[in-house]
Amino acid sequence: MSKFSNLNRRDFLRIGGTGVSGLIAGQALPLAPADAAAKTKEQVYSPADVAPLADLPVGASLEFQYPDEDSPAVMIHLAEAAKGGIGPNNAIVAYSTLCTHKGCPVQYNPERKMLICPCHWSTFDAAKAGAIVIGHASQPLPQIKLRIEADRIQAYGVDGLIYGRHTNIL
Amino acid sequence: MVQVPLPPRNAKRLHTVCQFCIVGCGYRVYRWPEGKDGGPAPQDNALGVDYREQLGAFENWIAPTMHSVVTDKDGSRHSIVIVPDSDCVVNKGMASVRGGGLAETLYAPDRLTGDRLKTPLLAEKGVHKAQSWSEAADLGARVIKAVIDRWGADAVGMKFFDHGGGGGGFENNWAVGRFFFTGVGTRAASIHNRPAYNSEVHAAGDAGVATLNNSYVDAQLADTIVIVGGNPFETQTNYFLAHMAPNLQGESLDLKKSTFGDEPADAGRMIIIDPRRTMSVAAAESAGGPENVLHLRIEPGTDIAVINAIARIIRDRRWYDAAFVDRHTERQTFESFQRSSLDTDRPLADLVGQAARLCGIPEAEIYKAAEWIAKPKRGGYRRRTLLHYEKGLIWGLKNYEGVASVINLALLTGNIGRPGTGASRLGGHQEGYVRPPYPGGRPALNVDEAVRRGEVKCYWVGGCNPVLTTMKAEAMEAAMVERGAPVKAAIDATVGRPIGERVTRIVEALKQGGMFLMAQDIYMTATAKHAHLVLPAAQWGESELTSINGERRLRLYERFMDPPGEAIPDWAIMARFARRIRELYLEDENPLMANRFLDFDWRTPEDVFIHARYQFKGDRSDPMEAYSGVTYDFLRQRGTNGVQTPTRIVNGVISGTPRMHHDGRFSTKSGRARFIRATWPWPSYAAQVDEQRKEFRFWVNNGRNNHVWQTQYHYQRIPFYGDHNPLPYLEMHADDALELGIASGDLVELFNDVGTVQALAYITDAVKRGHTFMLFGHPRGSVGDLISDHVDPKTTIPYYKGAWADVRRIGPKPDVARELSFLPQNVSE
Repeated sequence: MSKFSNLNRRDFLRIGGTGVSGLIAGQALPLAPADAAAKTKEQVYSPADVAPLADLPVGASLEFQYPDEDSPAVMIHLAEAAKGGIGPNNAIVAYSTLCTHKGCPVQYNPERKMLICPCHWSTFDAAKAGAIVIGHASQPLPQIKLRIEADRIQAYGVDGLIYGRHTNIL
Repeated sequence: MVQVPLPPRNAKRLHTVCQFCIVGCGYRVYRWPEGKDGGPAPQDNALGVDYREQLGAFENWIAPTMHSVVTDKDGSRHSIVIVPDSDCVVNKGMASVRGGGLAETLYAPDRLTGDRLKTPLLAEKGVHKAQSWSEAADLGARVIKAVIDRWGADAVGMKFFDHGGGGGGFENNWAVGRFFFTGVGTRAASIHNRPAYNSEVHAAGDAGVATLNNSYVDAQLADTIVIVGGNPFETQTNYFLAHMAPNLQGESLDLKKSTFGDEPADAGRMIIIDPRRTMSVAAAESAGGPENVLHLRIEPGTDIAVINAIARIIRDRRWYDAAFVDRHTERQTFESFQRSSLDTDRPLADLVGQAARLCGIPEAEIYKAAEWIAKPKRGGYRRRTLLHYEKGLIWGLKNYEGVASVINLALLTGNIGRPGTGASRLGGHQEGYVRPPYPGGRPALNVDEAVRRGEVKCYWVGGCNPVLTTMKAEAMEAAMVERGAPVKAAIDATVGRPIGERVTRIVEALKQGGMFLMAQDIYMTATAKHAHLVLPAAQWGESELTSINGERRLRLYERFMDPPGEAIPDWAIMARFARRIRELYLEDENPLMANRFLDFDWRTPEDVFIHARYQFKGDRSDPMEAYSGVTYDFLRQRGTNGVQTPTRIVNGVISGTPRMHHDGRFSTKSGRARFIRATWPWPSYAAQVDEQRKEFRFWVNNGRNNHVWQTQYHYQRIPFYGDHNPLPYLEMHADDALELGIASGDLVELFNDVGTVQALAYITDAVKRGHTFMLFGHPRGSVGDLISDHVDPKTTIPYYKGAWADVRRIGPKPDVARELSFLPQNVSE
């Protein structure tokens, strides 16, 4: 063992948390607390009904729009639990499909469980809150917040800024 | 809810260029007082964009990472927005993942970048204590002077950036060069990423070929693009996206037709020579179709074999450019090249067969590559092939011959100086080199060794971090700690004592084998932690600077904020120390030495820029970076498109140079290019490397990836980037991982005779069996700990890509792994 093994860069076993939290959309926005209050408009998302839970079996995906008709999104029922997932297995997730690089429509590939941009090949992980796998986008795909109301899936918010907007509710 | 503030109409508008990779994408900067934001109506914001509506694709969207709030010295707070410039011909309005977050790299006291170095620091009694600049310069200057006087100039060692972009540029490079070469006169100099002061591409220079000779538009015009040891999707992103990919997609056909007239033009093809199936391969296949992409997935160290085999086929098939070779190359070098490098005494099939076996690829692929590079087009037109090479070759086995093999292939096929051709480095960082001549010879002195052996008494490290990036990195760190200890003791024993006594005690420590370590940087790096004297530098955006990109495009990077605390630009630090050393020599009545430190009285960065300009003559003897006649005002008017160097002044007008060697003349005495011997290396690993290779199972390939810039010096402070690769990862083939019981996300340890390093396993088909790949300089685990100190004796260039190690599983690391994506990083459909 090296005499420098106490240096954390050579031995991070003993290090606990690594601060891995920024994958959650929106946390990348560096606002001081004072800024945040000044710059956050008191906007409220209107909940929107997307589909009956029964219409989205495992493996299926469904295109919809949220928070308005100019904002295309896709809802996906993965086989396993996903970050921010809902439903019986916490496996239903939804994302804005405008690539956060240049706004091309990303396409969901169910075999790869990836959303892929056909313009510049940025790829996003459907099970990890839309995290960038590789590519040029400077934030994850905005994740649409979902909940179940009376066996129907409802969208009620968005984590992260939708491409082409300075604020999600125009 | 997330909201990005919009720049108001009266926001200050400036131009800059990305601080990171060689491509040098253009960006627009908007600055305005915090809170005085613009509105979404087009007449209410500086971009003139209607943000009341959903924007379409490719419009001027401001991503959250493109904005931040900065605090100037007077306490005033300003919003800064940095967006890609759609008028820039380099990136055409696109950002890479790195450039898209430029605003987040800025100093802000309320974010993680707030831990910038703000004052000079002296290591005293176990802590770094703030010093004034005059105290720091006085102590440092006295130590340097004492070292020169007692041991000679070569006892002052340095390791500094020599690049463009952030932390470099013509201004800072000139100041560093004047200080160490004109002033100190040391030969113990080394460049940020290697142990000596040497070219990474001596062979191109010896051939008379500029290392960056094409324009980026040539990637749109080429019939075939060849990439040797490079991964442009990830590490020259917008060169790939805005120039290479459109060619493969056929989108540049109109441009080809308008440029070349009747010459047949098809969508481009790409050949990638790389052991890994990278995202560049996958994206190229999507862009051009798999039938138009040829991936030669060679074994390590076999580049020269495959390139020479391709050249031999081209020669034997008579597809080479005989007219070019006759007119533009030295004939005798062509003759000796054919015998020494192409083995013309052997039958072709025999040679290609051997190359294929060594490289681990089918013979047919080698023949196909030769066709794609040089088989004439319909109507007998020569193919236009653009050849690029980078670290896979440069840090590979036999640096000199590796680069020579690519240059030879370009000369053989006449692919330099014409539209759609070239033979250039892809590049890593940007360029901006201008310095007085290095006083040492070739091969250059190995400064790592001089530090470890005790010959360097004062070591000044600027804008780089050898503890993470040099070979045998643990031994370098040990030398810094052990040799630094007596100096620390001397400093601790003289707290509050007069400076003369303090320096005397330090010199006594140096006599006992000590080393005085100085670090100049923007953050407290792993190297700076060991330094006695730490000097805070300004960064990109805090002082004007100039640099060139991979097509020699010179731009002005404008200043848009103050540096934090007492930080000043690197050029101003060098000047400050030079002026103090001059004073000390004058006090000593030694005008000879004092005068070596004359002319450091620059007041502005442009003063330095113009001072350096006198190195250039404005004629063909100039290097490719030369900027005769250029001023900041001229560049300001040219915005993000600047001018391509070298410049000439014709009838009082500055004109640029889109392509080097366009007149068929090369940088040799004869004006003709020289073929360079590139004999087959196999099986000629150095003994040291060969022993490691036999003893340990896995080849540890290493390099950068898309999401990481260098040592993550900024990115570990920006969650969007730092959290993407919180730990270094090790790419492994699934079969190898299965045998060792390793799954993606497991913590593994790599170990060999040099050292150990840990990483997260990442199972991927990007690597072949027996191969692995790791990031090169991650702050939490550097591959430098595995790399032997072997250097090419001809060039003092390390074989950074040549480490072999064993891998063992340590165990799961779920707290990290559950947050990360382990999906493949090399699929595009």
